[in-house]
Amino acid sequence: MATSSKVTVVLKAVKNITAQFCPFESNVGSTRMFLSVMSSHKVRATNLNCEVISTVKHDRSEPVVEITYLDGDKLMLKGAKLNCSEMLSAFQSMCSAKELQAKLAAAKK
Amino acid sequence: MAATLCRILLPKQGWLPFTQCVRHGSKSVTRHKRPLHFLKQKLMSVTRYIPPPRPAPPGAYPRQTIRDQEDDPFTILVKKNLKNVFQESKMIAVVQNSGSTADEMMLLKYKLHKHGITVKFFPNQVVRSFLKDSTYSNMAPLFIGHTVLFISKEPKVKEMLSSLRTSRHMLLLGACIDNTLLSAQGVVSYSKLPSVAVVQGELVSGLTLLTSQTAAMLQRHPAQLSALLQQHVKQQSSEGAPKAQEAT
Repeated sequence: MATSSKVTVVLKAVKNITAQFCPFESNVGSTRMFLSVMSSHKVRATNLNCEVISTVKHDRSEPVVEITYLDGDKLMLKGAKLNCSEMLSAFQSMCSAKELQAKLAAAKK
Repeated sequence: MAATLCRILLPKQGWLPFTQCVRHGSKSVTRHKRPLHFLKQKLMSVTRYIPPPRPAPPGAYPRQTIRDQEDDPFTILVKKNLKNVFQESKMIAVVQNSGSTADEMMLLKYKLHKHGITVKFFPNQVVRSFLKDSTYSNMAPLFIGHTVLFISKEPKVKEMLSSLRTSRHMLLLGACIDNTLLSAQGVVSYSKLPSVAVVQGELVSGLTLLTSQTAAMLQRHPAQLSALLQQHVKQQSSEGAPKAQEAT
């Protein structure tokens, strides 16, 4: 069940991560795995200012992870039909895009 | 080397020849594959040997149907343990642990031990198979990922919630208190409930309110009681008259 953490997740461009899910639903596994990966030591050590806030609800709502970046952009991952690896890859692609943007902006200066 | 009709000259008269070559021009044994006569080719293709399909060797593929396998001894031990836990403890809370360090866990265990709450870890698969057979089957979806069980004989919810609030990584998913499955919000509202004695007192006072009021009224001075009753009769008659007027 554990995803392979060979590819390290870097949270440099992330401001905070909020997650909400209902643990009694059956489609919550991927969201919980994603959360556990995000809250692990290695990942948290990349950015100590980033907060991981999770809310446990009981209203049959869909599991949602919202990631707010430093430049104000938000990435919403609806984990009901997603795999953990898919969520991770989407998150990483967005993060790498943000890093590239930041590098370009720094190079221009 | 074309062989002509060969006739062996009979050495003696009256003897039948040993060999008689009738045909010539084509050899039977060639280095290349001799093209078969068409009829023979058809016959050979029709009567070709098709061997029966051999089954795969026994360990080649995994079993398609998951048969009910007998549990190994460790699983049986863990299940016995779990059974005892569910029987003895009144409160079993399931908490998701997302990346807490060893010293954080130690501090949490120490804080909870002071209130009589034990922290236990069980493998998810074993717990799920145990819950499937027992009456607590609705708790099964909680056990995904890294889960910790908080077990106590007395339902000490307030202390547990306060210690969980201080730890950043522990997330309360649900609890089974007094054989009732509660969600996280249910646990919070349970903690806000007053104690059993207070609730019982409230209930008793609510039920006996009317009777106590009548008893108090009857114990008053008889003049006051008669005045009250007269007033009550007047009110009843005045209510009855407008109602009769409305009806007509």
